[in-house]
Amino acid sequence: MSSLKNTIAFKTSKSHVRKKWDLSYFVITLILTLFGIAVFYPFYNAVLISLVTSKEYIQTPFMLFPKHITLDAYRYLFEDGSIFWGYRSTLTIVLFGVPYNLLLTSMVAYAMSRPAFPGKKFFNAMIILTMYFSGGIIPTYLLMRSLSLLNSLASVILVYGVNTYNMIIMRNFFRSIPAAIEESARIDGANDLVILFRIVLPLSKPIMATMLLFFTVDRWNEWFNAMVFLRDNNQWPLQLVLRSIVNQPMIDFSVTTSALKNAVFSDGVKMAAVVVTMLPVMLVYPFVQKHFMKGIMLGGVKA
Amino acid sequence: MAKQTKTLSARRSLWKEILRNKYIYLILLPGLIYYIIFAYGPMYGLTIAFKDYNVREGILGSPWNGIDNFVRIFRDYEFYLALKNTLIISFSRILFQFPVPIILALLLNELKEGIYKKTLQTVLTFPNFLSWVVVSSILINLLSNGGAINNLLNLMGFPRQDFLANSQIFRPLLYITDIWKSAGWGSIIYLAAISAISPDLYEAATIDGAGKFQKMISITWPSIRPTVVVMLILSVGGVMNAGFDQIFNMENPAVRPVSDILDTYIYRITFNTGTDFGFSTGVGLFKSLINFILLVTFDKISRIISGHTNGIF
Repeated sequence: MSSLKNTIAFKTSKSHVRKKWDLSYFVITLILTLFGIAVFYPFYNAVLISLVTSKEYIQTPFMLFPKHITLDAYRYLFEDGSIFWGYRSTLTIVLFGVPYNLLLTSMVAYAMSRPAFPGKKFFNAMIILTMYFSGGIIPTYLLMRSLSLLNSLASVILVYGVNTYNMIIMRNFFRSIPAAIEESARIDGANDLVILFRIVLPLSKPIMATMLLFFTVDRWNEWFNAMVFLRDNNQWPLQLVLRSIVNQPMIDFSVTTSALKNAVFSDGVKMAAVVVTMLPVMLVYPFVQKHFMKGIMLGGVKA
Repeated sequence: MAKQTKTLSARRSLWKEILRNKYIYLILLPGLIYYIIFAYGPMYGLTIAFKDYNVREGILGSPWNGIDNFVRIFRDYEFYLALKNTLIISFSRILFQFPVPIILALLLNELKEGIYKKTLQTVLTFPNFLSWVVVSSILINLLSNGGAINNLLNLMGFPRQDFLANSQIFRPLLYITDIWKSAGWGSIIYLAAISAISPDLYEAATIDGAGKFQKMISITWPSIRPTVVVMLILSVGGVMNAGFDQIFNMENPAVRPVSDILDTYIYRITFNTGTDFGFSTGVGLFKSLINFILLVTFDKISRIISGHTNGIF
């Protein structure tokens, strides 16, 4: 029955879209294609700049196909090594941070999805208030200092725990799970801990996948808290290492072996650093895009 | 006497309720500890906005100085400049950026389902998931004095233009590059609203002889209008946040008079130029308070308009 409905809906939506060749469809496609190119091309060009010689970049700043491909910029970048430190920090933050986010956020979401219990209103108000008002960066910095967490990756990991927007999306999902399933478990003697970890979370795989992705992206892109809390730059995550590479007016190549010194150029190395930083997101995104979109569909308005 | 036993039994049943829900409290506990330390801890730290803070005596020990910090803040020229820029940039964003995802969603909706639409959506939404550090690195490479656009101008015999140091075009550049980064993802929320529209409506309109644009205006637009209103309210509620990540990564001293917003100002006076934490926390508190008032106000408005009880969050 529902598949019949779907085919009908599919046919009608198709018939309203377009008959044969029509001008407005062509114009719309053209506008969107141009916008698509405008978004895509800077990334493509950045990748090419990291792969060509200085001479070719000067002659053709905007490229379609490079004539010569060289990995010198990457060789320089890896020889410098700071990018590896960045990777190490970022992977540490992701590895410890994402499970911490998921665990805390889903536990709060579970508690808040339960029917009334004493104090629920108070706890809810306490949590929601943090979406409207926050202490800001200086008190947070001073807090980290009094906890002796400055210059430790733990500061960056711990300060971002529950994401309240995500908590609300999860809570709404948990509420939609039929109460009968939990009730029968409760009759069998299961407590809330068992129900959360054995029943609710396994039933919430789609939302958990979406949350896993949102948190991973947040953690991968972590830079501001790290900039404030980590004054010691060999602890910096990837994004901050990239920032420091790009902000150098000219990269000093004097420390490099002479063979590389002549071949590499500042913009090439900078774009190589950009590519190395965004590559994981770029490679994974097309395959997980639909999960991100599901997050929007489930969450309604989420800024 | 009867009253007393009543309260006593009420208390006993409250205890019973708490005991019955003990595992819920246990589950809530780690999250609560997190909120108390990392959300409410810093709120307590805001007291230094009313203190003459010095490192040696800490938050508790530093002497109170009333509203001295605020008196100095409201005499500070750079503070007013940052406040003015924050409001100008935020409202310009609403004017120029806010409509773009809506238009994009309407256009994308007209596209036939298929691999082309999917690819286009992947491309358009992708930059949203990169940090401003990455995106501004690419943009600076394009726009800076020695960047790709200037190299092209140079090859064609034109003089180089320092786009990023030009205070005339820096703000428009902010709006354009933010559209470039986020409009694609922003359109998804409207596409979600559009996908909820019953195809029967379009079918009926087609039978009545309505064209594509008539359908867009009389079916699609009214259906997404509530979403548009809520998003608009959210934007107006957030005007104190003018886009720290973007501006911090794209600005330079040459454009500071037009680019400095409250958040960049707070960061700079705290961590770069001085250590007057009482002063900079005062600026932060001022910003948070206005932000709070705006959010609560616009939350009320959105409840009234949408008829929902759950507001913007």
